[in-house]
Amino acid sequence: MERISRYILVLVSAIAAAVVLPWLYRMTFDKPVHVPFVVYSCVNNDFMIQETENGKQERTDTHGNKYTREEYEQKLPLMYTRQLLTAGTMPDTINGTAIDMHELLKAKSVFYYKPEMMNTPHPELYPLFESESGRANLEMPDDFFRITWRMEFINAETNKIEEEKSRLFSVALYKKGFTFPSKLVAGIPTNRKSCDEGYFITDSADQLFHLKMMDGNPYVKKVDLPEGLKFRFINCVDFKDKKYYAYLFSEDNGIYILTQDEYELIKLPIEGFNPGNCDLRILGDIFYYNVIIRADDHLQVDVLNYSDYKKVDTYRKNWLTRSELPAGKIAAAIFPVQISMTDKNSNFINFYIEKPSGFAWIIVNLILAGIHLFVLLKRKTKISRHFFDLTVVTFTGFFGYIAVNLFQNKLFD
Amino acid sequence: MWKSVIYKEWLKIRWFLAAFTVLGLIDVGYIFLKVRHEFTFSSGKDYWYSILFQRYRYFSFLKYLPLAGAVAVGLAQYLPEIINKRIKLTFHLPLKENKVLLMMHAFGTAGLLVSYLIILFAFWWLSKFFFTNEMITGAFVSVFPWFLAGLTAYFIIALIIFEPVWKYRIYYSLTGVFFLSIYLEPAVTGGYGPVNPVLFVLTGCLSIALIFSAYRFRKGEM
Repeated sequence: MERISRYILVLVSAIAAAVVLPWLYRMTFDKPVHVPFVVYSCVNNDFMIQETENGKQERTDTHGNKYTREEYEQKLPLMYTRQLLTAGTMPDTINGTAIDMHELLKAKSVFYYKPEMMNTPHPELYPLFESESGRANLEMPDDFFRITWRMEFINAETNKIEEEKSRLFSVALYKKGFTFPSKLVAGIPTNRKSCDEGYFITDSADQLFHLKMMDGNPYVKKVDLPEGLKFRFINCVDFKDKKYYAYLFSEDNGIYILTQDEYELIKLPIEGFNPGNCDLRILGDIFYYNVIIRADDHLQVDVLNYSDYKKVDTYRKNWLTRSELPAGKIAAAIFPVQISMTDKNSNFINFYIEKPSGFAWIIVNLILAGIHLFVLLKRKTKISRHFFDLTVVTFTGFFGYIAVNLFQNKLFD
Repeated sequence: MWKSVIYKEWLKIRWFLAAFTVLGLIDVGYIFLKVRHEFTFSSGKDYWYSILFQRYRYFSFLKYLPLAGAVAVGLAQYLPEIINKRIKLTFHLPLKENKVLLMMHAFGTAGLLVSYLIILFAFWWLSKFFFTNEMITGAFVSVFPWFLAGLTAYFIIALIIFEPVWKYRIYYSLTGVFFLSIYLEPAVTGGYGPVNPVLFVLTGCLSIALIFSAYRFRKGEM
């Protein structure tokens, strides 16, 4: 019993060490990666790069030409419009196209996605707004809906199900071929938006539906999908140009948009985006969409035409990941594993295990096991009684070494 | 004989357990007094909205409560045993030493569990009036590791108190604090979902941790 108790303590303290020591190491030695800000210039049809080098901001293009701040802003008039208007340097035409401020503002859009938006506990209850209330502002409804074996509305004040409304909407979904329960429910659950377009919902058969409430009645539209297409995340948008309802990420990492009213599904010509571990920014203006993907080790900017979403140009910059930098390499040698309870790509707490990239840790582990063996031999103890300790040190290195010395085996000799 | 051992443990911890349970119920009462106030002065839909979409955690007042209760009960139960090495009297009883220790430990754990269950039941019962099952489940997924942290703290305190060498007491305390931090990470509601089963197993494993230091204590490690 005493031995089992000790084994448990050794394992638990090794786990604690595997969490705390790499965290302390990272806090001490980690250096930030300065990711450049890269967007496509509609003036000189080239990428404009703004990055911080040695604490100084530098602005260049892909040919290495350097720009002052003012020159840089003039190359991106659709991004720095207010500044150029203030300075009186806003051009009237760009590439032969007259600038209409109304059109410019209408086409401007910013979309931002982080993996933690997908990897998070989802609320499972959503407010369904009245889309045609006739009011200037949207009003928060008194009830929230869930979609389980049917669609249910629960009144927040009374915490009771609103039977009639629940039946009405459940039947409407059922009649359109909805297979309960839902898998994904995506909408903009706030009244701070220009109008309400309800929710896009995938059912248990991966069919996509559009649901909203119009004058108290359900509006349900089944969206035609290509065979086998499944979505892992849907992010609805509320842009002024009303070109599309949402960005949809498929299970094979494709990025789609769903056009407004026509419900046409368009796949954007973007490769290399994984919603599980890449940030995504899509900046739209009257000429282009800048699709900016940031992964752990690279930045990729794809430029698409505003009108037909065809690819215009691509920029890519790679950098060394944390594990490839000197501090990361040393960490990989010292620590056989690095456990973290949090992950930047997820809101879930878990034992996130980072395996070492090289094999140096094996040597370090063996050295530590050798030191432990040497101490035992010097103490003239029976080595067979320390087999567990030696195994733990061999496999867990520093963590095990600390643990077996913290909970010493002396009394069992 | 066993009855006497249990009665001795009961005498040591009864007031601490009772006070902790009452404090826990007051804490739960305060949480729902605030909830009711918000429902009355704001509205149910706004309060639900803040929980569902703005990451408001109405139960955050519970975070350190189980830990505080476990520390109090652990100290009340085990400190008197090592003052003047009184535990040695227990070890001289015609009972197996580890069995007596585990009995004491099981009694303290059961006492804490009963207190925890009373507090959690009150929390669940009052939650039912205001929130849906999804919201209550999310809250329970979040508070579960806090209660596990309480049990873990109780087990680690027993380990530390029985440890005869001060140097190791400090080492164990540090390890305990680091280990407990795993249970108390800041997280969104329901964020602990994937790791809760693992933490439950680890906590269960730690329940016999005191056997190690009690063994060192019995052997007179200096």
